[in-house]
Amino acid sequence: MSYVFDPSSAPNAKVNMPSTAPVPGLAAHIADKKATEAAEEAKWQKTYSDYEAAKTKAESEGAEPPKPPVRPVAKSDAYDMQWPVPKEPEDQDLKTLVELLGESVEETFEQAGELICQINKTAILNALTTCNQEVSLRYEMLSDMTATHYPAGDGYKFSVVYHLTCIRRRKRLRLRVLIPEGFEPESATQVYPGANWLEREIFDMLGIRFANHPDMTRILCPDDWEGHPLRKDYPVVGLGQRNVDFREDRSGKLMRRAMEAAGHLNINLKPIKAD
Amino acid sequence: MFKSQEMEINMGPQHPSTHGVLRLKLRLDGETVKHCYPVIGYLHRGVEKICENKAFFQGQVWTDRMDYCSAISNNLGWAEAIEKLFGITVPRRARYLRTMLNELNRLNSHLLWLATHAMDIGALTVFLYCFRDREKVLDVFEAFCGSRLTTSAMRIGGLLEDIPEGFEKMVKDTLTDIREGMLEYETLLSENRIWLKRTVGIARLSADDCLAYGVTGPLLRAAGVAYDIRKAHPYAAYDEMKFEVPTKTEADTYARYLVRLEEMRQSISIVEQCLGGLPEGPIMAKLPKTLKSEVGEVYHPTEAPKGEIGYYLVSEKGGVNPYRFHIRTPGFLNLQAIPLMVQDALVADVIAAIGTLDVVLGEIDR
Repeated sequence: MSYVFDPSSAPNAKVNMPSTAPVPGLAAHIADKKATEAAEEAKWQKTYSDYEAAKTKAESEGAEPPKPPVRPVAKSDAYDMQWPVPKEPEDQDLKTLVELLGESVEETFEQAGELICQINKTAILNALTTCNQEVSLRYEMLSDMTATHYPAGDGYKFSVVYHLTCIRRRKRLRLRVLIPEGFEPESATQVYPGANWLEREIFDMLGIRFANHPDMTRILCPDDWEGHPLRKDYPVVGLGQRNVDFREDRSGKLMRRAMEAAGHLNINLKPIKAD
Repeated sequence: MFKSQEMEINMGPQHPSTHGVLRLKLRLDGETVKHCYPVIGYLHRGVEKICENKAFFQGQVWTDRMDYCSAISNNLGWAEAIEKLFGITVPRRARYLRTMLNELNRLNSHLLWLATHAMDIGALTVFLYCFRDREKVLDVFEAFCGSRLTTSAMRIGGLLEDIPEGFEKMVKDTLTDIREGMLEYETLLSENRIWLKRTVGIARLSADDCLAYGVTGPLLRAAGVAYDIRKAHPYAAYDEMKFEVPTKTEADTYARYLVRLEEMRQSISIVEQCLGGLPEGPIMAKLPKTLKSEVGEVYHPTEAPKGEIGYYLVSEKGGVNPYRFHIRTPGFLNLQAIPLMVQDALVADVIAAIGTLDVVLGEIDR
């Protein structure tokens, strides 16, 4: 019995592209809530009109009228779980940011006790400098920086988030920018030198380049790696890597054959060119 | 006749004192380091990508394997991040037990750090003493959850099991042993001339540099900044505990050694407080079988033995797995500052700098 392995059918090779772009925000939350309420109302109206129609029909036929429907009420929460919804900004820091940055602030809100401020993609360097230098803010440290791929986003494909820490006042703030494919945001290393490796990691994992970065190279993957692993269109098994289902290949024969076919090491290195 | 030139050498990735697969490209002028360029990624496993493709609760086993010397701190940060995302309230007893385990884990991690750091510098006896005591902490973990290193001790919403019978006595005996052991390490090291020569004034990193480079943990506190996330943003049951945040201002390897020893004493005190005031009650919150998320985004920082470990999660509507799972590990940002620490230092001091950073490449490369 011969077994031919088809890499495209491997369970881990399938890529499920997300259909929505979950960017949390106050406006998005309110719109979503309204849509859900409208859908519920429409459903109820339909149920009720169906009942009315059935009732009229039953009356005209002289049969027994149907039972009136009961409008469903929201279930009381039986679990120790309360989803933290986005709230209106109340913190002074967010108000100060809106005052100082003016129109480049796109949205501010609070969620789960965190302060979030969305900045226009071209104004991020100015925002970071303000957060670092302004006496009433003074966020001394860049704790973390990362990005998310939103292939279903409308007008943007990535979000880049900056987590700033104010040590004196024990506060944390998240700045966020939404950027399209190919846009190069200004590097945060000009304000926080520690952003160097974080930005290199983002470039390595998601393929976002940062303008004016001192060393824009890969950091975790080898230099000749193909693709950016944390993009949503990148398969979990890697590109061209491990094209053998181990469950079907106990003896390792197919793996060896695949390795011979793929060349040395069978990882997705580019073919070596002769000088 | 005589010629002098700068030499470029690789330290690692298989050098025994680099604690794993760290590679440093050093440019040397004789014995002096002129330039240092760290190269990482040899242990990259794609933890973030894997966790994005698994259900929320399945990410835990991967967090164990990041910083394999302090699995419980990683588990705690992970569990609390998901609890923050879903707004889950954890019972008080579970929070106390988590705090206790986390501090035992801090003892474990600092003992391992002291053992390997001292061995790198040449004090081999301390290595054996520390491992003797660390073994007892690992036995406590084994009694609690059945495994020693990759514990997977937490669950979303609490803990899987309550403490076994005789556990409190076991913990108390361990703490007594560690307290006695610490006197021995101090006798061996604190006033040892060789230890002082190898550590005092070595690998300095000022408070401003620490803040600029995002360096956290004992390194920041040894530079004079009393910043501890357990105090600044209390999580688990730390708001009910009494403890000090030790600081030094010298910002060198010796100051970090003293800070870490003092932290171990505070940890012992916190564990005793947890045991003394352990409340009765359930250890697990009431949760649905499947966690289905709404659109949300959290960043949850916690204080791991090596510094701030933060989990950044993005979730989508009706999702059973995280849309984005990012881990800010303390080692990644701490290691970034090593070129500043070893600039114009001797090659032997690079070993001390790596030791004092307490690098574990499993968490740096993820």
